[in-house]
Amino acid sequence: MTESWTVAVGVKQVPDADDVSIDPDTGTLNRSDAAAVLNPPDQNALESALELKDQVDARVVAFSMGPPGATDVLETAIAMGCDDALLVSDRAFAGSDTWPTSLTLAETADYVDADVVICGEETTDSSTGQVPPGIAAHKGWAQLTYVEDLEPRPEDGQLVAKRDIEGGHERVAADLPVVVAVGYGENEPRPAPLHRKIYAENDFDPEVLDADDLGIDKDIVGLPASPTKVGGQDTVEPVEREQKQVDGVDELADAIVEEVGV
Amino acid sequence: MSDGTVDIDEHEDVWVFIEEHDGEVANVSWELLSEAQSLVEQKEGEDLVALVIGEDVDEVADEALARGADRVLVADDPIFEPYRADPYGEQFRHMVEQRKPDIVLIGGTTTGRDFAGRVAVPAYAGLTADCTEIDIGPDGHLQARRPAFGGDVLATIKCEQHRPQMATIRPGVFEAAAADGEGDGETVDADVVVDEDETLTEVLEREVGETADITDADRIVAAGGGVEGDLGPVRELAEALDAELAASRKAVDEGWVEHARQVGQTGKTVRPDLYVAVGISGAVQHLEGMNDSATVVAINNDPNAPIFENADYGIVGDLFEVCPELAAAFDDADEPQEVIA
Repeated sequence: MTESWTVAVGVKQVPDADDVSIDPDTGTLNRSDAAAVLNPPDQNALESALELKDQVDARVVAFSMGPPGATDVLETAIAMGCDDALLVSDRAFAGSDTWPTSLTLAETADYVDADVVICGEETTDSSTGQVPPGIAAHKGWAQLTYVEDLEPRPEDGQLVAKRDIEGGHERVAADLPVVVAVGYGENEPRPAPLHRKIYAENDFDPEVLDADDLGIDKDIVGLPASPTKVGGQDTVEPVEREQKQVDGVDELADAIVEEVGV
Repeated sequence: MSDGTVDIDEHEDVWVFIEEHDGEVANVSWELLSEAQSLVEQKEGEDLVALVIGEDVDEVADEALARGADRVLVADDPIFEPYRADPYGEQFRHMVEQRKPDIVLIGGTTTGRDFAGRVAVPAYAGLTADCTEIDIGPDGHLQARRPAFGGDVLATIKCEQHRPQMATIRPGVFEAAAADGEGDGETVDADVVVDEDETLTEVLEREVGETADITDADRIVAAGGGVEGDLGPVRELAEALDAELAASRKAVDEGWVEHARQVGQTGKTVRPDLYVAVGISGAVQHLEGMNDSATVVAINNDPNAPIFENADYGIVGDLFEVCPELAAAFDDADEPQEVIA
């Protein structure tokens, strides 16, 4: 396979983790006033996708599933150097857990004829890491998670990845199409050049796709089709600690001996 | 693929995925096998099943029986070594369709999470990630609890209309049972349904060193951003206290300490007798991984660092001075007598 690759890179708008508060009365999370930001691990996904484009003939398309106005993250992707961007948005998708979410994203990847799908390791608002393998599973494609580095082999129609595994590394060659989840913090996301920022902000409008455009039956997405449901949430009580301030190292050493008998 | 309609009553037994690489079992698998006993006890007439996939895994299967499995389901074939998501996923799908488990528990390692995400989709299973508590609710469904939003909240996730109910569980949360059972359960060989010609991936090379396991440590000295790349003082203190080295996410992201030693939401959960946090500010994501420590000591030069509110003993000071002095105090004290833990 020597023709140009299509690299689809998934990005998500998430509430800024530093801006999420807990309602003191109800104990529930107050996400509504948190600023919306690009999911931080997705910056590594964007960088990996653009590095592939630097190495092989490729077209990079960013895609995001979210509410109608969630286009800022796509503008960021365009500003960094993506060729195109799509917003996948439909009321039918509301409440989707990872099963229908990965189905929807898999159909989006198919819609753009993706050879390589690149995602971040996980999102900071739900932190499951289940969506990239889910996309691959829905389509029966190969998957490469916890990826540190990618090496394209267009002549073989393969992508080779260096993966982080417990206690070490492995290199895996995968046939295309393949879904990649890039390890969080594994590369240095490139800054967006000013002229791209101006273009993304002023002249770019992403294509918006709904369930019908993607040929998705609305009965198999959204909350009703989601196997998991949130059955409640409890505020975690902080562990009670002594909070003794000691003045010197000797006092600290004595305390440690007392507590654990070192 | 299933059409989504599931007869829940047809599904029974609790499966635990025994993650092994070249015969070495990830300790979290044994932790889950132990914890799953309490689930099975609440499910009358159901069995605890260890799922062993790999090559030449007889010894692993025997150990699973000795550690309390009622039954071991084995898929033994060269195609399963080393782990690859696609053949494991296809094999698992077949076994689930044929044997219909009610619950499947998987360790939340990189391999476990890669596997779980792959296999939940074709099974149309409900999958909850990174749980720290599991229980059977009054309605008979699995209640999988997981920290949300950096650990401020514990969310309960349920799966009422689909089976199996799957969960990945964070390593170090539960304690593994000893391998001292009678081991008189049965071993069942599953049909291997995958073929090398149909695989999508090839492992070109694999390098695994000695994996640090901080989840079992009795004493831990953990380095944070405050060490600014110089681990000398922290290592010195760890050595003096006969403690394992650990780290915050910051210290791991900076490349100062390996990921296997990371404590917190995206790392390990530890429960030592003594946890010394050095130059760690105390973000809630970090606290979540060390809250079960018996005694927490904090060393930090910022008197307002949140770690002090979450420590039993705190000392405000320069870690580059405090650590060597504290280490020296123990080195002196240690010399004549044996250390009693």
